[in-house]
Amino acid sequence: MKRRIALLISVMVALGAGVAAPANAAPVTLTVWSYGNVFQTKLLNAYKAANPTVTIKIKKSDMDSNHQNLRNALRTNSVPDIAALEVSYIGEFRNYDAYFKDLNTMTPSASTIKNDFLGWRWSQGVSPAGKVIGIPTDVGGLAVAYRRDLFAAAGLPTNRTDVAKLWPTWSQFIQTGVNYKKDTGKAFIDTAGTVFAAALNQGTQRYYTSGGSLVYRTNGSVSSAFNVAAQAVTSGNAPGKYDGGIGTKTGQFSSGWGTGLQRGTFAVVLAPAWMLDYIKQQAPRTSGKWDVAKAPGSYGNIGGSQLAIPKNAKNPQAAWDFIRWYLAPAQQLTVFKSYGQFPTIESLYDNSSVTGYKDSFFNNAPIGSIYVASVTGVHNIPTGKKDRIIDTTFGQAISRVMLGKQSSSAAWTQALADIKKSIGQ
Amino acid sequence: MSGKHSSSRRDEKNEEIVSTDNAVTEVKRRRRRKISPFTYVALGVMTFISAFPFYWMFVVASNGSDEISKIPPSLKPGTHFPQMMSAVYEAVPFNRSLLNTFMVAIIIAVSQVFFSSLAGFAFAKMEFPGKKWMLIFVVGTMMLPSQLGVIPMYMMMSKLNWIDNFKALIIPALVSAFGVFWMRQVIDAQIPNELLEAARIDGASVFRIYRSIIVPVVRSSAFVLGLFSFLATWNDFLWPLLVMNSPEKFTVQVAINQLQSSYVIDYALNMGGAFMATAPLLVLFIFVGKRLVAGVMDGAVKG
Amino acid sequence: MSTQAVPGKSQIKFKSSNAPIDKKPRKKIAPMRRQDRWGMLFVSPFFIVFLAFGLIPILFTTYVAFFNWDALGGAPEYIGFANFKELWSDTYFWQALRNTFSIWFISTVPQMTLALGIATLLANPNLRAKVFWRTVLLVPNITSVLAVAIVFQQLFGYDFGMINLAITWLGYHHIDWVGNQLASHIAIATMINWRWFGYNSLIFLASMQAIPRELYESASLDGANRWQQFRYVTIPQLRNTIIFMMIMGTIGGLQVFAEPLLYGGGMTGGDSRQFSTLTLYLFEQAFFNQRYGYGAVIGIAMTVIIIAISVLNYLIGRRIATDGTK
Repeated sequence: MKRRIALLISVMVALGAGVAAPANAAPVTLTVWSYGNVFQTKLLNAYKAANPTVTIKIKKSDMDSNHQNLRNALRTNSVPDIAALEVSYIGEFRNYDAYFKDLNTMTPSASTIKNDFLGWRWSQGVSPAGKVIGIPTDVGGLAVAYRRDLFAAAGLPTNRTDVAKLWPTWSQFIQTGVNYKKDTGKAFIDTAGTVFAAALNQGTQRYYTSGGSLVYRTNGSVSSAFNVAAQAVTSGNAPGKYDGGIGTKTGQFSSGWGTGLQRGTFAVVLAPAWMLDYIKQQAPRTSGKWDVAKAPGSYGNIGGSQLAIPKNAKNPQAAWDFIRWYLAPAQQLTVFKSYGQFPTIESLYDNSSVTGYKDSFFNNAPIGSIYVASVTGVHNIPTGKKDRIIDTTFGQAISRVMLGKQSSSAAWTQALADIKKSIGQ
Repeated sequence: MSGKHSSSRRDEKNEEIVSTDNAVTEVKRRRRRKISPFTYVALGVMTFISAFPFYWMFVVASNGSDEISKIPPSLKPGTHFPQMMSAVYEAVPFNRSLLNTFMVAIIIAVSQVFFSSLAGFAFAKMEFPGKKWMLIFVVGTMMLPSQLGVIPMYMMMSKLNWIDNFKALIIPALVSAFGVFWMRQVIDAQIPNELLEAARIDGASVFRIYRSIIVPVVRSSAFVLGLFSFLATWNDFLWPLLVMNSPEKFTVQVAINQLQSSYVIDYALNMGGAFMATAPLLVLFIFVGKRLVAGVMDGAVKG
Repeated sequence: MSTQAVPGKSQIKFKSSNAPIDKKPRKKIAPMRRQDRWGMLFVSPFFIVFLAFGLIPILFTTYVAFFNWDALGGAPEYIGFANFKELWSDTYFWQALRNTFSIWFISTVPQMTLALGIATLLANPNLRAKVFWRTVLLVPNITSVLAVAIVFQQLFGYDFGMINLAITWLGYHHIDWVGNQLASHIAIATMINWRWFGYNSLIFLASMQAIPRELYESASLDGANRWQQFRYVTIPQLRNTIIFMMIMGTIGGLQVFAEPLLYGGGMTGGDSRQFSTLTLYLFEQAFFNQRYGYGAVIGIAMTVIIIAISVLNYLIGRRIATDGTK
């Protein structure tokens, strides 16, 4: 695979070399602060080949450090030209729009590309005052990746339509898990706590209203998502034991998770589109044994990023040119096909390359159309300044319930108290 | 009186002939102190404990990511190492980062040793106004966690235009409170005042005293201080990650951090990068190690 | 020449050679007294750089402790001692304090003893392959902390970690090395010990090499065996180094940060803060919750604690007399 990429790049460079560079183009260096897989090397090289005067320097940090360093830098003149903002932090940064360029005022204005993008994903990058501070990159969507062979061994259906019928709601999802665990003695899902974010993102509101008021305490969707998760992490336990409910006790993405994937210690993973690539990387030998079905509630989302330009950026125009190129339909299609990250360009959802896309690793599941369906139903959920803190606090509360350290109601009460202590309200 | 060198001569039976300062030289036949096998066994265990995780990193790096998940874990190296290496080189300008880190670390180490020994000498053996409070202040500042300092430091570096410039790494690190504290303690313990008195009476200048008396005696400790300073710079991660933006200017820890992906860790790649970051240093130590032993032995001979 | 009676061994007199060691009865005369200006000159390069850069974190931290500030928000809001009062009744702070001490104790005590022991083994001039042993001991310290955390996470993993595999193979039950408080402390302390024991033994070694050989020879002439030589020559001679190491060990140990952060993968030190340490809690408050003022107060509290413990260390260490009595 790597050799093919290298070949492709050299072909593109050869082609690019034949194209004359624009006259009088001054050399520009773009500084980019990012994390994880936001930028794909193949595309970066293609841009460089087509724009030889532009040098792109990317600095990757871990997710939290990326945003914390950005926060430190925004008050100075030493900011990157492009900053990648993850969805859990976008609520904070979009409330400080004074520190970013309003992309509506760039040339050409962001309003000219707005209609290309999935509406609710676009809104996540818009400040309360209406300034566009970030353009969406990919969208997670939500489906369920499952192991057909393990389902068959447990007497469950393996056809993805039948499987989706097992769990129209989260309680039925949990019940399926309980039955699976009883019949096979193994865990059903990798980490049961992941249902919290999945369920929560299916509502119309999370922790904030669109006006910016904090409602994490009173919003019924939050408490009900919490209860669903608490149920998931405790149902099906042997009496007196805390085995992780319908899931294992191994943390998602830890080394034990990779091992679990390979050995089939669990049969199901809640899968935003980007998760599929991780499964392929971590357990290549399980190819063909997986399939993808609709998730409970049938639509949902986990994850995603926006690309923003800090106000004091040294090369805002060049940065904007690059962002528009990188997030244009053609490039998003390439990213989808090579890396599995689902595009945010709505017009692509009718594109046969997307709707017809199948992956043999997942038993030729029509991944494109599954995720199209899952993303178009998602509501425009308002994001707020302290989303990340609240997310993390609830996550820990669910973990405590899973380990038997607290009952669900005690954990909820403590979570509320912890959040209040951290954010003051 | 400080002792003169005691010379050790060996006779044919390879036993030490020890002479003391006394006018009458006594030849003492002492049995050469035998090393018990216990020593080597204990050191062997220490070696295993120290080296095993490093070896394990190599095993994972050379076997491909899914090997780390085998039960029981495989302990034999595999064949994927060259492949993994080229993946690392593709992701970051790795050799360049090794060079960068080495350069920065050496400059900082030399500077810290030099300035620390000067200041340590002053604190240990000289009097000047405010000395006591200065020393307490210096030691006290080591006790304040420095994490919050990142914020004003970044602002300062930004105003000085040192962001993405090696100056931001080197200049704030030119001196070390730890180094001053240690050098002061070493000089205080190992250099008797009488020696300095005698030299002063002989008319030696302060610099002469520094060069001819202080430096040779504290050489081994200074060397160790330099080594530790080097290591601290080599391992430093949070600050270089914040202030350096260009991949060709990354230090080695920042470089291997670029190998991480969003959530899941590609174990072979990360372990490989970490291994590649450690191995050159190890090789360097083997070469420098002889010097280390020699330097330390000098300190041992001087009584 | 002074001779001292060794308790319990009234027949053996321990001779010590004088001057370099025996400083106590004499008033110390600064030998460079007339050259004060040299003193200031020698110290000045250090202070210039230090005042320019080292002082800034201190000034900033002290300043921001009295304010409410969240970086991007706007002007800091003066709140006087409110942060300090809040800290006093903050159960998470006290929990972080207890965790820090627990980890520190589990890591420092065995580590220093081990380091001293290894240094003794290495100090023997007849030891073969000296360079090899010294190099190997530094391997843990030159390995990147990130990689170490990954390796140890794998070692201590619940389902598939090597240690739990060994434990279950022996017939016992899995230990939750992350969720269980004490187990998590042991795991983190192991990481720290592994990283630093070689480093510390080299510091001891450097100081041991400076002990004059005559002292050992005199002692062995007097009939002292290896253990007695260790106790009555090595330890007293190393007194300053031991004090130094205890203080540095305190400062380092109470500020432990990277290990719990990387081990747990988050800033809270586990779902119940079971391994939240003081510095980690500071970091969480300042950078994750964006309460920089509160983080600063935690920093100040830590400084006070560390100073107190260091003074305690110094007083304890001083009881190791330099002339061999105890």
